[in-house]
Parts: sequence; structure tokens; C-alpha cells
Amino acid sequence: MHKLWLVAKREYLQRVREKSFLFMTLGFPLLIIGVSVVAGLVSAGGRDARPIGYVDQAGLLDRAVLPLLVEDRPSFTSMEAFADEEAARLALKEGRIAAYYVMPGDYLQQKELTLTYDEDEPRAAKTRDFSCFVRASLVARQPSEVQDLLDDGLTITIRSIDGRRVMSEGGVPSFLVPFVVTFFLFFAISTAGGYLLQAMTEEKENRTMEILATSLSPEQLMAGKALGLIAVSLTQILIWLSALFGGLWIGGRFISELQGLQLPWDMVLVTALYFLPSFVLIAGIMIAIGGAVTKQQQGQQVAGIINLLFVVPMFFLVLIFENPESPLLVGLTLFPTTAFLTVLLRWGMTSVPMWQLVLSWVLLTSSALCSIWVAAKVFRIGMLQYGQRLSLKTIVQGLRGQPAVRSNGEAPNHA
Amino acid sequence: MNATVSVSHLTKSFGRFLAVKDVSFDVYPGEIFGLLGPNGAGKTTSIRMMLDIFKPDAGSVTIFGGEMTEAKKNRIGYLPEERGLYQDLKLEPTLVYLATLKGMDESEARRRIADWLKRLDLYEHRAKKVQELSRGMHQKVQIVSTLVHDPDLIVIDEPFAGLDPVNTRLIKDIFEEQREAGKAIVMSTHQMFQVEALCNRIVLIDKGVAVLYGEVGEIKRQFAGNAVTLEGQGDFEHLPGVLEVRRDNGAWHLALETGVSAQDVLRALARRDDVKIKRFEVAEPSLDDIFISVVSEGRPAEEEARGA
Repeated sequence: MHKLWLVAKREYLQRVREKSFLFMTLGFPLLIIGVSVVAGLVSAGGRDARPIGYVDQAGLLDRAVLPLLVEDRPSFTSMEAFADEEAARLALKEGRIAAYYVMPGDYLQQKELTLTYDEDEPRAAKTRDFSCFVRASLVARQPSEVQDLLDDGLTITIRSIDGRRVMSEGGVPSFLVPFVVTFFLFFAISTAGGYLLQAMTEEKENRTMEILATSLSPEQLMAGKALGLIAVSLTQILIWLSALFGGLWIGGRFISELQGLQLPWDMVLVTALYFLPSFVLIAGIMIAIGGAVTKQQQGQQVAGIINLLFVVPMFFLVLIFENPESPLLVGLTLFPTTAFLTVLLRWGMTSVPMWQLVLSWVLLTSSALCSIWVAAKVFRIGMLQYGQRLSLKTIVQGLRGQPAVRSNGEAPNHA
Repeated sequence: MNATVSVSHLTKSFGRFLAVKDVSFDVYPGEIFGLLGPNGAGKTTSIRMMLDIFKPDAGSVTIFGGEMTEAKKNRIGYLPEERGLYQDLKLEPTLVYLATLKGMDESEARRRIADWLKRLDLYEHRAKKVQELSRGMHQKVQIVSTLVHDPDLIVIDEPFAGLDPVNTRLIKDIFEEQREAGKAIVMSTHQMFQVEALCNRIVLIDKGVAVLYGEVGEIKRQFAGNAVTLEGQGDFEHLPGVLEVRRDNGAWHLALETGVSAQDVLRALARRDDVKIKRFEVAEPSLDDIFISVVSEGRPAEEEARGA
């Protein structure tokens, strides 16, 4: 048992000191932070501070609502009233305003406004702000009961029928968070797979296998390596998640949509439940591949395909957005390699039925255990077949419990 | 005395190739046991079966009085034929890691590794990466890793490969010390003069079969006999009972007819006045001679294999 920890410790310390690990682990979040800072600066720097002008020929707009709107959102565009279109056009020409609206006297009948601008169309945020102003003004004209009713009714709550999931309007966080987290896990799984394969073929390439074989059992060696690499992946994910939330926090100061983003704790729980068996599954598969080949190069091609099996849900993003209940997605939810990402992606869009969650977790966990069992067998045979590539036949024989690498029947007599 | 390792009737084939057939030998504490044979004879396969890296198709291995267990691995030091260390790691941490895998306490491992590195002139290289070391240094590092945990069974495959004469002497002294300390040492090598200098007993494997097994002196006596070497003045040709005469480096080498003993030749010489004898001895073949004659003749050797 003690030797298992020694292997895990060495594996962990060696990996986290590798340049590629530092590059991947630190570079990736730095990139995210950099992008979000740049995006924040661009949106802050590119902001057109000029007010929107308007000519209110209908007499509907109420400047009394403006302080309320600004209080609600400090970046609310300021509005400037003009007595007639002539004055507004002059102001636009002189560049004092970004654009101006004319609300004709028959606005309530025609429901048409005209927007005039010079060269550049005003930013969407500004026109949105003006419609806000119009709506708020119209509401202000209503009796106070109607106002209250309209006010209260603005928040819509979507509740799934079994009451487990409650989604609030303003669904940015509910699909953004799973999406981003999924993206990180996708990278984590790809890198973990690579590390696992590398760790397994390392002993063969360095020709240390014989020394290790006379020091500890193949099971200890294998489990130690897998354990060390799980720790490496967790380290990487922790760094990434801290960077992600740090990035969101910094970004939130610039991008108003990111404010009020909340961590969906139920999703965190699901992630925690699915992560370990998913990792064990990929570890088992990679160890088996690493045990069967002699050079990392050979394994990498197979490993690429295996990685694909894990990230296949990423190709169905559109489907997940449009129809998260489709049978194909239910299938991917239940299939062990795709379960993790599919559940996470669907989590943001729909309420995944309980039976699917339970069934997919049980399938995932049992196939993970199975993969480790297979991996241990293949690893042992691979060790015995020192320096040789394993044939599929040998692996199958080994798995059936026949004595590994033993010639069948009587030894041939042609020495 | 109980054997440290007892290998009996090991057989192993890879596919249709029979690598080892019915090989048996015992190794005792306090001896250096030579495992000899030409390339591809099955020496390494035998070692791997002995150490439970390969499972034999037939036969059994008794190690420290029983089957191989995880605990027993801590008492074995193995220098494999395929040398390998983690190329990217520094020398000292690599050795510490391998020593702790043999059940050593880390601080104790550090202390002993420092001692060994000093003794083998590697101490100032301890922070270098393994790949920066020369071949000879690499070899010495592996020997340190084989011996640092003070194993009771030492298995060394070609221990002198890549070493200069000074280091060869040093390593030889170390193995002799280990023998004095009562360790059982199995040495596989091609270098016959090393075997002659170090080994008490040997097994010679050829084409997977043990063709010679026993004490070095005993084996030499078996192969000695029908030849004498002599030095002196005079004409040593045309002696009765002599088959062939060969002059070699100032000495005469006389091959005798079957049934003629060295004593007969000595008596015949003593009766002659025209020769002066400075040295007369029964020619003892070197292990090299024996190796070559056994392997090249490919003689059916089953009777000798278990002879001693």
C-alpha cells in the first residue's frame, strides 16, 4: 500500500513540474482572463458617451422616469429633449448627440418612430435604452394599480413539473455556466488522457519496467500512477475554475450581463458525482492502451479516437439548445463515455429526468470499474510481454483468465 | 545451507520459439554464481522467470524458501540487461525514489545513496539529469540502485559492460565484498575472465538448455586431461603417445593420444638426456576454451548438465 503512494507522489510531482503542464494550466486561464479584460476594455472604451436626442411631438415621454432608470442601471444612456427636429439635426451635425428619435403626434395610433443618425448606426444598447424610456413613460401614464401589476409581473419563474428545477428569467447563468464548465472539463479530460498514456508508456520507453517489476506489483504501480494523475487533473481543474470565477468577477465589473451570475450548486454536485467515475473510466482505457503498446506514439493514435468518444456531445450543441429532450441526447446521457458532458450540457437547458440521471450514473460507474479491471489485466500481460506489442488475441486470452503468455499445450520440441 | 534461489526444470517458449528448456540450478548465500551462455541462449529469460517477471510454462522457482511475494521483492537487487532510468530526472531523486520502492525509509535512503555516490565518484554529479551522464556513469548509477537497499539476493546482468579497467576493478571489489557479507549473487556475463576471477560455480546455457553446471574448478578438471604444457630446451616432438605438438608463446602444448596420461609423458621425458625441463603441467583449459568448445560442438550435453 505504501509503495502505491510513493508512485502516486512521484507521478504527481513530476507532472506538475513539467513545462507543458505549467503552460497548459497557467496559460489557458491567463488567456481567458486576458480575453475578458480586453473584451471589458473594448466595451468600456468603445462606449459612446453621447446622449440620445428626441423630439416628442406626441407629448408622451416623461422625463420623471429617467432618474429611476439611471438608478436601476448607472450606464443608462442619457436622453436629451429637443423642441423641434431642426435643433436636433443641428446637435447631431455638431456631434453632441449620437442620434435622435422623432415621436410623431399620432404615435399611439401609428406606433412608429423615426431614428436619424449620422454615418454610424447608434449601438444597440442605446436604442434599447430609448425603448425602455418609452415603455417606462407609457407605464407611468397608467393608474397605479396597473403600474404595480406590470411591475410584479416582470419576473417569470419557470418550474419543472416535478418541482426539482426552478429557472428564473434571464437564463444567462443557467446555460452559460454549464457551457463554460463543460469546456474546461473537455480540456481537462483531453490532457488527462494524454498524461495517463504518457505515464504508462514512460516506463517502457525508459526501460525501467524490469526494475519496477522486481520492486512492486503491477497493480500497485498502475493504481499509484492513476491516483497521482487524478490529483494532477484535480489541481488543473481547480486552477482553471479559480481562474474562471476570477475572470467572471473581473469581467462582471465591465460587462453588466455577467453581474448577478450565480453558481448553480445543484450542477456543482452533479459535476462532483460524475467527475470521478468519468476519470476512472478514461484512466482505465488509457492504461489498457498504454499497457498494450510499447511506444507512446502508437498509443496516441488510438487515444485520439478514445478522446473523441468522450467529447462527442460537444458536436451536438445545436441539438442541445434546440431540443434537449431528443432521444439521441438521452442515448448520449446513458452511454458511459458521453454521460458526463451530456448531462452537464443538458443541465443548463432542461431538467434531466431523475431516472436518466440514476441510470446513467450507475452505467458510468460500473463501466469505470470494469475498465479498471480490464486495464489491470492488460497492464500485467503488457509487462510480461516485455518489449513486444500485444496482439488482440493475447489480450482476449488474458482477460478470459487463461495464463498469460503461456503457450498452449505441450511445448514444441524444435529448439 | 539452504539455497537462496532454487530454479528447477524451468521451461518457457514464446509462440513457437522454445527459449528455455528444463533449466535447473541453485544459488547459495556467500557465492557468486555465473550464468553463462552465448547471445540469445536464454539467460535473460531464465533470470526473468527467476524474478517472477515472466511466468514459466513449466517448472518452479523457490526464492528465500518459497514463492515470490511482494515483501521478498525488497530483498532483491536486480541490474537488468536492459539498462534504464528516467532520463529526464535528476540522479539523486531517481535513486531515492527507486530505493523507497524497495521499502527503504527516505532519509536512510538519502544517507546511503550519498555514501555510495561518494564511493563511486558520482557525488558531484548527483544533481545532473540521468541523460547527461556518460555510459560508464550510468552503469555505476544502476549498480548503486541495485545495491543501495542491501539486498540478500543480487542479480546482475553484464555488470561490467561499458566500464573502464579502473571502474571494473572497483565494481569487482564491491561484488566480492557483497559475497563476503554472505549475499547470494547471480551474475550473467560473456566475459569469461571475470567469471574465472569471481565465480565459484556456473551454469552454461546454450540454446535454452543447461549444458554445464557445477563448480568452476570441477568443470575445468573435467575438460582437462589429455594435454600438457611444458617449457624448456630441446626437441619435444616425436614423443611416444603424443598426438599433436603446438608451440605457443615459447611453451610447448602437447595433445596426447587417448589412454596416454601426463605421467607417461613425464616418465618418457625423464629418461631423455637431450632435453631440459623448466616447467611441466597438466594443461587446464580456460573457461573460454570450454565455452567455445561446448557451444561450437553443440554436443549433446544432458549428461553433463546435471553432472556436478
